[in-house]
Amino acid sequence: MTYNVNGKTYSIDCDPDMPLLWAIRDVVGLTGTKYGCGIEICRACTVWIDGSPEKSCEKKAREGVGVRITTVEGLANDPVGQKLQQAFIDVQAPQCGYCQSGMLMVATKLVRSKPKPTDADIDAAIGNICACGTYPRVRQAIKKATGQ
Amino acid sequence: MTDTATHPDDHAISRRAVLGGGLGVLATFVLHPNRAGAAPGRATSASGATSAAALGAAATGGTVSGWVRVNADNTVTIAFGGAEMGQGIMTGLAQGVAEELMVDWSQVRTEAAPPAQSYVTGGSFGVRRNLGAMRLAGAQALDVLRRAAAAKWKVDPASLTVKRGVFTNPATGAKLKFSQVAAAASALTPAASPPLTPQSAFRILGKTAKRVDLPSKVDGSATFGIDVRVPDMVYAAIKHCPTIGGSLAATPAVPAGAIAVVPLANAVAVVADTTWAAFKAANALSVSWSIPSAASKVSSASMLATQQALMASGTAGSPVAEQVGDAVGAYGSSAQQLEATYQVPYLPHVCMEVLNCTAHVTADSAEVWVPTQAPAWVVGTVQTVTGLPASAITVHPTLLGGGLGRKIEQDYVLQAVTVAKAVGRPVKLTWQREEDMGHDQYRPSGLVRVRLGLGGNKKVAAYQSRIVTPSPLAQRGWIGPTGNDNVDGAVELPYTFGSRLVEYVRDPATIPVGFWRSVGESINCFAVESAMDEAAALAGKDPLTFRRMHLPAGTRARKVLDTAAAQIGWTTAPPAGRARGIALATGFGSLAAMIVEISQPTAGTMAVHRVACAVDVGFAVNPGQVVSQLEGGIIQGISSAQWGRTTFSSGRASSRNFSNTRLLKMRETPVITVKVIQSGMENLGGIGEVGVPPMAPALANAWAALTGTRLRTLPLFPSAGGMGD
Repeated sequence: MTYNVNGKTYSIDCDPDMPLLWAIRDVVGLTGTKYGCGIEICRACTVWIDGSPEKSCEKKAREGVGVRITTVEGLANDPVGQKLQQAFIDVQAPQCGYCQSGMLMVATKLVRSKPKPTDADIDAAIGNICACGTYPRVRQAIKKATGQ
Repeated sequence: MTDTATHPDDHAISRRAVLGGGLGVLATFVLHPNRAGAAPGRATSASGATSAAALGAAATGGTVSGWVRVNADNTVTIAFGGAEMGQGIMTGLAQGVAEELMVDWSQVRTEAAPPAQSYVTGGSFGVRRNLGAMRLAGAQALDVLRRAAAAKWKVDPASLTVKRGVFTNPATGAKLKFSQVAAAASALTPAASPPLTPQSAFRILGKTAKRVDLPSKVDGSATFGIDVRVPDMVYAAIKHCPTIGGSLAATPAVPAGAIAVVPLANAVAVVADTTWAAFKAANALSVSWSIPSAASKVSSASMLATQQALMASGTAGSPVAEQVGDAVGAYGSSAQQLEATYQVPYLPHVCMEVLNCTAHVTADSAEVWVPTQAPAWVVGTVQTVTGLPASAITVHPTLLGGGLGRKIEQDYVLQAVTVAKAVGRPVKLTWQREEDMGHDQYRPSGLVRVRLGLGGNKKVAAYQSRIVTPSPLAQRGWIGPTGNDNVDGAVELPYTFGSRLVEYVRDPATIPVGFWRSVGESINCFAVESAMDEAAALAGKDPLTFRRMHLPAGTRARKVLDTAAAQIGWTTAPPAGRARGIALATGFGSLAAMIVEISQPTAGTMAVHRVACAVDVGFAVNPGQVVSQLEGGIIQGISSAQWGRTTFSSGRASSRNFSNTRLLKMRETPVITVKVIQSGMENLGGIGEVGVPPMAPALANAWAALTGTRLRTLPLFPSAGGMGD
């Protein structure tokens, strides 16, 4: 199988039924995308498939073929992504940091589609689970990155 | 001291020195700040060769160690001995060193210290217990650097000025960077007690410092334990006996797609060439377990019945945790009496990063990469499995994707090392979420009966608390039956009660219990602060007024309550349809007052709109981080108060994944304001835990104010289910 991840081509040899998450982490070797629940609830595993946020933990490895995959490691290639990364640092959003990759992938997509997201937009878009409780600062970072 | 020294610390120092070379450092200076009587110090070269350099280390006491290393580019690398799990300890401790070392924050780098110089991170002790030692380390490093520079110039060391890691000779205007004198400095013995910077001159301590670990946490480059990859590594999954207390009856055959099956006491590990292959094989594996009949009969209902019986009977001579005056007599003769029993559930930790550990064991060495709150204990665990001397064991503590007290435990380390030893290759063991929640070492369940007797003046003349819970410490045999970890939050309360009696009755339940963020406080604060509200109602007093009646003017507790009340405007009524609740927590060296404002959007559900928090931490090392930790504690406190629990039936835990476990989400998060009060450096307190315990009583008190219904059992809304919608 051939993957396009963050603009690079990877030759992948794995069980096509393996979840895309584990193909990215163990086979491609990019570990920024996280395992949290394996049942598409916590969203720590969020990547972009052709620019759209998708949970990767129940997607199959074979579904990664013929699409553009973007992980947190490639987020800085996106100007909005880069802006959000900086805003997350500026407001000191991450605590343990484990869920933040997924948080950033979702937040960036939100800002790309709504350049000035309201609180209601943020509430609706960010369904990610953060056990540390970084939500107030993630909200603040999104506002800051969008000049609000 | 020479390289052949056999003191265990010297091995660590040598290894650190070699690592220094590996980091690509040209000339380095290593100072070990806190080794009474010893003088370990090394100058290292790019080749990694070490040479002895007697650097005195005169600090006394304490368990923290650290190093200051001056790098070729005149940055400094500060080693820290704590576990970074999101609380910013790396940053807080480095601030202490950097303050005294007279470098700018931008010059600071950090790295983990080896286990021999590490300490267990828990009890909100990380910064408050070790800040002094870290400041001394910085001051001692500056002392030898200063004297080395002065010797070059042949001037009085005291005459030099220092800024941004550069000395200036005021007589000539000549400058020397730390990196230019580091090698010479490493041959000097530092003063035992060099002067420390007075608080009025602080440049870095007490100022919000950007966390050093955050850039790596927004671009995917941070290495948590689960991200460790080493050459030739294979992957293991764990399958525990689903019934707690059961054990492996027979080792199953190696299934197709797997490399090995390794028997463990209460589990079996399956090894494969990817994480997924190991998970899949473990899930499909049919295993025969030995389950004692008593274990299979364990249920929440039967355990509650036991606790109720223990509550009624006490035990002969139940350990008395606190006794002031005759609380029994005073209660009996009080004008008004409140008796209420509060109930709390077993709670899983639910760190976002599941338990994992990577290990490589050979005949004569072992190496472990692990997210742990207790690196030094990991060495002991490896020794138990391998019999190797500590000097043959290397531990690489990684970042933790949450710790919450769970990653102090050694169960997952023991498993990984056992598996690695069996397969003879590096192995990364990863627990699936279902194993992580289903085989936790839970926050104990418990019953707490509070009695408050009010005098004619409406003040509490008698306070009694009887606590029935299992004890994490006693369960491990670390202490006797008193279980003193379970009375925190019930004893040493700041209120001026006329008399006090706090008894602890140990519940011998076999569910494994451990240390959950705020430990005993998470149980007792709910009981005491709920009872205070109930007593206020009995006395016909406003809940804030009633508490203030028991807190003398000028006390820290009164000030945090007043500060929280002023923030939310306690004396003005909340908007229609909302109500407020208040609670106070004292613990971990700090005090926190919380006021919540809630409504009931639909029958039997709660929306939390606002939380006003005031916290007295004595001195805020990194004020922004204090606020972050309180925000996080508040949010975890709201989640666990409303929904957190695991129940047991047939010896099995109910909580297995987020499909039946609920945590607060963005859209449910209230507006939180935190006021930080700094009552003085002498009161330096912890911040990691104190935000959690007051949330449950504040919410229950608000619910009673809103609905007239008093909820005395946690979680407040047990049927809320999970997040799988």
